[in-house]
Amino acid sequence: MPQDWTDDELLAALAAALDARQAVPAEFVAAGRSAFAWRNIDAELAQLTYDSVRDTELAEATRAEPASIRALTFSSPHLTIELEVTPDSLVGQIVPVQEAAIEVQPRDGAPARVAADEIGCFLIHPVPGAPFRLRCRLASGAEVLTGWITL
Amino acid sequence: MRDDPVVIALVARVRDGDQDAWDELVERYAPLVWSICVRYRLSRQDADDVGQSVWLLLIERIGSLREPAALPGWLATTTRRECLRVLRAAQRQDAAGLPPEDQLPAAAMIEDEVIAAERDAALRAAFAELPGGCHQLLSMLVSDPPCSYAAISTTLEVPMGSIGPMRARCLERLRRSPHLAGVLGPPPGEGPARDTAGSRR
Repeated sequence: MPQDWTDDELLAALAAALDARQAVPAEFVAAGRSAFAWRNIDAELAQLTYDSVRDTELAEATRAEPASIRALTFSSPHLTIELEVTPDSLVGQIVPVQEAAIEVQPRDGAPARVAADEIGCFLIHPVPGAPFRLRCRLASGAEVLTGWITL
Repeated sequence: MRDDPVVIALVARVRDGDQDAWDELVERYAPLVWSICVRYRLSRQDADDVGQSVWLLLIERIGSLREPAALPGWLATTTRRECLRVLRAAQRQDAAGLPPEDQLPAAAMIEDEVIAAERDAALRAAFAELPGGCHQLLSMLVSDPPCSYAAISTTLEVPMGSIGPMRARCLERLRRSPHLAGVLGPPPGEGPARDTAGSRR
């Protein structure tokens, strides 16, 4: 019970509480505040379902060869997005194949737009450095958004 | 842990689209997210990465959180998972790799951090509501290095002799704050010692 705390104990606890807040950089808090802008995104979320690095980590660890091309798959109930990371670009395909508008959305800053062609292929150049997510707008009007991607 | 009505009310307001409530929620729990990043010894850049992911996941999922009162636990668990994700990503680029398992903070650390974060948030909330004079006096008393009574006497324009009684009165007001009901627990001398490593200096 708080009543049991001596004045010195209470003052020390208060000092620790204020220190804990002081230790957090202002930009760290500001970034959290700005996340509010991402509220209510009206899109279907595509989760990471395959990552060649994660899924072959153990096998690769025992080999000395350079890692093969990294491949990622994101799946939502209606769409699959496959990505391959090459040294200078990101090659993608959406399945079922169809034309779509693809947006590369960084956490801050303006999104970049590319188009998926009639067989669902698209190219993002160069490979985004910072965490980003892809938003696909299909001809049907449906939208699919991937989770955050860090390459 | 008690179901903190403050948290439940904040979550409800955020769901209704209230940006101020979101800011308050972030203010309240940023120290929790940060302290876990510190426990994992993340670089500043990695900690920023983790922080952003955690808040974005929260804003995405806040509508479907079944137990708003369990938010601190959810935040702590999510932060820990994101810390591990970032460390694994670093491992792929750097042969030095992940520290051995026994050097990583144990999962039980999460519980301690949540309890400490709730207590700290309650103390800060109670402190923020103290009347101006008490707020100023306690700020001077907890400053590092602490202010001398002579300096306090000059700044607050009160005689040296009344600082002691004023200190006792202000701490009593703090102690009786509704924010602290059910949060403080047994005094540090009786309960298990609080781990002051990590975010505290």
